[in-house]
Amino acid sequence: MASVVLSEAEKLYIVHGIQEDLRVDGRGCEDYRCAEVETDVVSNTSGSARVKLGHTDILVGVKAEMGTPKLEKPDEGYLEFFVDCSANATPEFEGRGGEELGTEIANTFYRVFSSESSIDLKSLCINPREHCWVLYVDVLLLECGGNLFDAISIAVKAALFNTRIPKVRILEDEEGSKEIELSDDPYDCIRLNVDDVPCIVTLSKIGYRHVVDATLQEEACSLASLLISVTSKGALTSMKKMGKGSLDPESIFEMMETGRRVGKSLHIALQKILDEEESLGTSRQKVGFLG
Amino acid sequence: MLTSRTFLKRTRAGAVVKVVREHYLREDIPCGAAACRLCPPRPAGTGRGLEAQPSGAASSLCPGPHYLLPDTNLLLHQIDILEDPVIKNVIVLQTVLQEVRNRSAPVYKRIRDVIQNPEKHFYSFTNEHHRETYIQQEQGESSNDRNDRAIRVAVKWYSEHLKKIEDEEKIQVIFLTNDRTNKEKALEEGITAYTCEEYIKSLIANPDLVDRLACVSDEGKEIESGKIIFPEHIPLSKLQQGIKSGVYLQGTYRASRDNYLEATVWVHGDAEENKEIIIQGLKHLNRAVHEDIVAVELLAKDEWVAPSSVILQDDGQNEDDIENEEEKENILKTSVNKDMLRPTGKVVGIIKRNWRPFCGMLSKSQIKEARRHLFTPADRRIPRIRIETRQADTLEGQRIIVAIDGWPRNSRYPNGHFVKNLGSAGDKETETEVLLLEHDVPHQPFSQGVLSFLPKMPWSITEQDMKYREDLRHLYVCSVDPPGCTDIDDALHCREVENGNIEVGVHIADVSHFIRPGNALDEESAKRGTTVYLCEKRIDMVPELLSSNLCSLRSNVDRLAFSCIWEMNHKAEILKTRFTKSIINSKASLTYAEAQMRIDSTTMNDDITTSLRGLNKLAKILKKKRIDNGALTLSSPEVRFHMDSETHDPIDLQAKELKETNSMVEEFMLLANVSVAQKIYEEFPEFALLRKHPAPPPSNYDILVKAAKSKNLEIKTDSAKALAESLDKAESPEFPYLNTLLRILTTRCMMQAVYFCSGMDNDFHHYGLASPIYTHFTSPIRRYADIIVHRLLAVAIGADSTYPELTDKHKLADMCKNLNYRHKMAQYAQRASVAFHTQLFFKSKGIVNEDAYILFVRKNAVVVLIPKYGLEGTVFFEEKGKPTPRLDYNNEVPSLTVEDTTLHVFDKVKVNIMLDASNIQHQKIRMVLVEPKIVENDVPANLSTEISSKNEPEKKKKKLQK
Repeated sequence: MASVVLSEAEKLYIVHGIQEDLRVDGRGCEDYRCAEVETDVVSNTSGSARVKLGHTDILVGVKAEMGTPKLEKPDEGYLEFFVDCSANATPEFEGRGGEELGTEIANTFYRVFSSESSIDLKSLCINPREHCWVLYVDVLLLECGGNLFDAISIAVKAALFNTRIPKVRILEDEEGSKEIELSDDPYDCIRLNVDDVPCIVTLSKIGYRHVVDATLQEEACSLASLLISVTSKGALTSMKKMGKGSLDPESIFEMMETGRRVGKSLHIALQKILDEEESLGTSRQKVGFLG
Repeated sequence: MLTSRTFLKRTRAGAVVKVVREHYLREDIPCGAAACRLCPPRPAGTGRGLEAQPSGAASSLCPGPHYLLPDTNLLLHQIDILEDPVIKNVIVLQTVLQEVRNRSAPVYKRIRDVIQNPEKHFYSFTNEHHRETYIQQEQGESSNDRNDRAIRVAVKWYSEHLKKIEDEEKIQVIFLTNDRTNKEKALEEGITAYTCEEYIKSLIANPDLVDRLACVSDEGKEIESGKIIFPEHIPLSKLQQGIKSGVYLQGTYRASRDNYLEATVWVHGDAEENKEIIIQGLKHLNRAVHEDIVAVELLAKDEWVAPSSVILQDDGQNEDDIENEEEKENILKTSVNKDMLRPTGKVVGIIKRNWRPFCGMLSKSQIKEARRHLFTPADRRIPRIRIETRQADTLEGQRIIVAIDGWPRNSRYPNGHFVKNLGSAGDKETETEVLLLEHDVPHQPFSQGVLSFLPKMPWSITEQDMKYREDLRHLYVCSVDPPGCTDIDDALHCREVENGNIEVGVHIADVSHFIRPGNALDEESAKRGTTVYLCEKRIDMVPELLSSNLCSLRSNVDRLAFSCIWEMNHKAEILKTRFTKSIINSKASLTYAEAQMRIDSTTMNDDITTSLRGLNKLAKILKKKRIDNGALTLSSPEVRFHMDSETHDPIDLQAKELKETNSMVEEFMLLANVSVAQKIYEEFPEFALLRKHPAPPPSNYDILVKAAKSKNLEIKTDSAKALAESLDKAESPEFPYLNTLLRILTTRCMMQAVYFCSGMDNDFHHYGLASPIYTHFTSPIRRYADIIVHRLLAVAIGADSTYPELTDKHKLADMCKNLNYRHKMAQYAQRASVAFHTQLFFKSKGIVNEDAYILFVRKNAVVVLIPKYGLEGTVFFEEKGKPTPRLDYNNEVPSLTVEDTTLHVFDKVKVNIMLDASNIQHQKIRMVLVEPKIVENDVPANLSTEISSKNEPEKKKKKLQK
């Protein structure tokens, strides 16, 4: 992962600041940086979103394609994650440099979304055992400025919110052969319910305290961090420890509690923004990549 | 301004793809009105646009000047009206044009042609790219509704835009639509809208236009006349599923010529079984029309029928008497023979209509002043069509064109509308037009777009042209053609070279120099495929400037040519072959007779004559070699009319005779074709366009062998060579014409020669010419295949550049298919033209008796050939309203015994020839046997009845006497 090299003095400055609930950029320990969210930025996807969190810049595209359901879940569709670490983000990603990180992030998301309640996969089924929608969630890292997981999870949620899956009908004739018919009205589509899609909150242990939304510098000072996925109702769906340091159980509970609290407010803020954007309709002036 | 258009598409593999297209909107698209000063000037070359003072027909609905703006359906259905010269100043929106393009390619082409025509003042407005008229599809709006709205928005924009032009008289825009809801919406928005009918009826000066309105049934109307005759057609999506699962079969519907209640469907695909399905009965035919692509469901085996041999013609005048039909259907069923049962089915749906405008005549309704009349097409396979017209009196006895609009379930006949009056039946021009239309020969004058690719006159050879060409102007080249030929595409030369060998050159007009691949001229010629020669008319494949001037290798002018030059020894063995683009200057264009005279005359010894003699000598050797190889010399009677120079009526009929020089030119053309075929195949083994003539299956020869046997002659058919030799030997001293007759019969046994692409086939053999490879190179002015061969050869020798389509074997194969079709149709048209002129000839000549030979013996007739005219005809022994004579047909000999007279193949007989004009639409030559006389079937008596029925005055006299 992208990282910065800090001198001991710099580290000490950051750690001491956090001890006083005062971070280098002026935030408190439980404050997020200012996030920018824009949806529907890539017109040839089914849904897309771009999220900027500090210097972290993420683009997520969701493509709906028809596929066959998995054998063990014949009446459900499924999601596929792929993370592309662009060499734009950091020179380290050049060549196959970003692959390991990409796989790690993708695997994390498989776990986060493995919970049945996170998204209604049954609604993605077209006809059992034969056709279902497969949502390919493609994540592109444009810039790494710390706290990748949280930023990506926000972007994924926004992109899923923005996703419009074309409505198809199954025509069945007497012999039982099935034909799929596509509606010719581009507005005739399915929206996904993203209420229970979790967001990831990463809590980095720095000194005796933990912070959310760590910057790159802060990440360099942290030895261990806890990554929890929280739904808008405050339910924890998964948890993962990152970093080489260790965490004592007591602080884990403490961090979970913080994560739940911060996660809930994060969901509320995100949903508000998304609804606001949605209400603007087509009249919204798109910012895109030129903004 | 940029927006994007997004739509969903299903790919063939079944995936759903979201497609996004960038869509640019502009502000500088002109409205097309000539008086408009607000818009930027129209770019050059976009037609003349709309007139400042619209001069269209005066309408009582809107007396002021106005432009018309039709919607999509109107354009699709009423294109016949829009093409009328009266309709001018029409705005065609891009939205409309695109929809038309998706729905009907032929109509799209027609409307494009109209827009091109500067006289019509049609203007195509790109409203989809105009900033103020572009709209996006809204939520809950179907794409059809969106397009309708886009059209209305454009109309509104136009009317507001035109108001801004400060002129003394305001120009109105009239929206024409037949869609009721669309019209209502338009009126709500303050747009002047009329239906097509309202507008056309309001045209003061042109009441006849109303007839040409297509009667497209409103949904509401259909319920009125309740009785439903036909079962419903199954929708296309269901049909496709059914075809996939094998419940239905897809095939081409072919109506029977003789029985209107029967048809066959040729099933597409490879399955051997059920190749042909019989459809019988009105309900099972279910409104299919000849050549439609239909879906058929097979009936259960116990419902299968045999093809009936009954001849039934649809002549009921009262249109909806269905009981009558059922009776007739029963007639069909009683004549069932158990062994003959064949797969039988019923039409369940139409996959693609292949309706075209049909030629025919009006059968006037018996009810006076009725507006609905039935139209009887010339082609018996097409059902009669109901049309609505007020000019029935004027149209009676005329050949007219009618287009089908639809066939509702409750109607016995399809509905159609009158398109065009060709002229009175029997008239020479009318009949020529009819036969061209019926044989699908494109014969319209070349469009402006095509003509624009012609070289500018005065044309001369430039330096650029000289670069890749050899200058052969010093050679004594001459051309030999039939008299009156203006499209000379070949010329020859022959000279001795220093080493004692002979150099022979065949020079072919370099048409591919003028027709560049891919342009409109090229496309048009490719579509036409061949020049069609009718008796007194020639339908050119390329515009006349090329065919009779720039490409024609006339004498004493410099012309571009593609030359094939051989070095031969005196035994006519080829030592060297060379191809080059060249410039020649023909020293003489001769007719066959003139050339023959030069060769024969002892006094002439100029360069051209010696050249001709050399060619003639070599040709004889070449011909002998070819025949030794097993080439066939076949014969078919060809007729030549002597025309009256004033009236162009045929005054004499004569079989064509051949001179030695004919065969001389032919020999070198064959040689050139073979040499070129070898060269292009060597260079492009996958993409060479070749011509093959497959060997006929042995069973084809049965009739020939049997016929020869009856004259104690043996014909061997195991190889072309054996056939040629046995034909040469088959002579009878007391019957000199026998050999020709045998050769005519042999011709009938042959297969059709076809073009093909070498990469798609592996049998190249040309049976008739006994050549392992063959192509057409020598007549590029009149055959498109030759143009392609020229291009291939030019690429092969590095004289021209290639292009992608030339090396695409699938494209070439498609082209071959079209060329073969066009050649076949051209041949049929030619025959039909000869038949028509024969009729004209006998009309003027009256009744004659002539010697004839029996060519074929059939079950109830004999086919005879009259050598004097090269005319073939059938003598029937059955006649309507007369007792059928006792007929005994022997298949083995073959012979036919009528009462006590036995007729054999090749018997010399005498026949009586006359014109049977009892059916105006299908006039024909009637022949009656005079000698040997058949007892009972009293010919003189028969004749007198014929005459009396034709001679009206006599009849009247008789009546008076009574």
